[in-house]
Amino acid sequence: MSKILVIVPFALDAEGVARRRDQLKAVKLEPDSEFHYRPVKAGPTSFMSPHDWTLMDLAIFEAGASAQEEGYDAVCIDTMSDSGMLALRSVLDIPVVSPGRASMLFALTLGSKFSVLAQWKPAIVRYKKAIPEWGLTAQCASVRSFDVEPSFDTLMDGKEDKVFPKMLEICMQCVEQDGADVVILGSTTMHQAALWLAERLPVPLINPGPMTYKLVEAMLALKLTHSRACYPKPQVPKLDMLHAMLDAAAAQQKAAKK
Amino acid sequence: MAKVLVIVPFPMSEENRLQRMAQLAAVKLDPNVSYDFRPVRAAPANYVSEHDSVLADISIVDAGRNAEAEGYDAVCIDTMSDSGVTPLRSLLSIPVIGPGRASMLLAQTMGERFSILIMWERWRHLYRKTIAELGLQYRCASIRSIGIAPDNQSLMNGKEDEVFPLLLRAALRCIEEDGADVILLGSTTMHQAHAYLAARLPVPVINPGPLTYKLAEAAIALKLSHSRKAFPQPLVPKVDMIDAMLAAAQQHQQQGK
Repeated sequence: MSKILVIVPFALDAEGVARRRDQLKAVKLEPDSEFHYRPVKAGPTSFMSPHDWTLMDLAIFEAGASAQEEGYDAVCIDTMSDSGMLALRSVLDIPVVSPGRASMLFALTLGSKFSVLAQWKPAIVRYKKAIPEWGLTAQCASVRSFDVEPSFDTLMDGKEDKVFPKMLEICMQCVEQDGADVVILGSTTMHQAALWLAERLPVPLINPGPMTYKLVEAMLALKLTHSRACYPKPQVPKLDMLHAMLDAAAAQQKAAKK
Repeated sequence: MAKVLVIVPFPMSEENRLQRMAQLAAVKLDPNVSYDFRPVRAAPANYVSEHDSVLADISIVDAGRNAEAEGYDAVCIDTMSDSGVTPLRSLLSIPVIGPGRASMLLAQTMGERFSILIMWERWRHLYRKTIAELGLQYRCASIRSIGIAPDNQSLMNGKEDEVFPLLLRAALRCIEEDGADVILLGSTTMHQAHAYLAARLPVPVINPGPLTYKLAEAAIALKLSHSRKAFPQPLVPKVDMIDAMLAAAQQHQQQGK
């Protein structure tokens, strides 16, 4: 039996979390893997500015920092930004898997160039920063957006007829004009479109959330985890302080809503 | 009269804050610019792990989030990690300057290849991100450490005789064996060694803190600030939430938990 914690990067209610959990249906999983979804306590509302990225790093770090003590065997992070991953790896020995860099590296096992389908233009800024940092500029054919504002809670519910064909059109531009061998969905919030697109595209389409579930199963089976040489532990862990900070953030957000 | 806020990345005593402020003496500054040094409210113990980097980012954002409203014309961040630079840029329109990226770019105006001189191995990760982001792998001749644990409060006080010659020897190896044209001090906490090294080395030595002051003055004079395209504002700023988090962190630290 493996217990895997999936961290949802926004402070969503039960319905919002259920929409995230639906990603499990997209892939055949091992019968003895158990996936638990946990939203962060507080965090950013949008995800298009360095302000938002910093808050999300902190929020995801806090949500997973005690995962090992709680008996989890691995952590998945449900965002292509890989927010919080580095910090979690520094305090956990269990695998911490996130879809951003991993989906690009996985794409390169299937073809020599990938494109990323971004939701809307403000999302492109972060890829422009992340792809060189990950050393993948030469392998990235393009990052294109289909220009529809995302909802991190309701995802694409009710917008399928309008949005899916637009996504397909942009994916085809990535393939035909930019030379992509593989297309990656730029956000785990697009998972509802994955099957529809995969059936219509002439190249592989990576659905990043479900890919992390398989990757985590592979790492557990192979008894592999991140290198401590790359992710050193803190000399003075301040996880209690971190939890106090996010409790204060959640209280502030609750008070601000009233 | 222009006002610059310098954010000091650790909470500290007045005596130790003044040691950070001593960096001002290393460079001739515009008499019409004043500098205020403000320590953060809470921080990681040091910067040796990704755990620390995340806490550093948020604590520096907290210290600088109101800088523009407080009447500052620019913000400098007193750490080579450039912690907090990008989120603060997204919140502020005034220039926000960190020494890490700036010193690597400036080094290339003076030579082709640079080396970074560091106190101990555990700082190595601080530069990896900036080097990769800027694609400077082939410009960085080496990163060499002298293997001495740093003190981010008292800096090098009382250790000059032991530490300075070690730094000099390591810097010479950067130049002679690794091919460095320019030496960067790997931390603003090494500023006390700058004059000693600069007087003895055959290549330029960048003192990163003072560099940021001059860059702040240049940005103010040239009326230049960061590109909003690269650092978009948040749709929903959560500065009150950040305030609540750091207040909680400060309280937690003061209770000595």
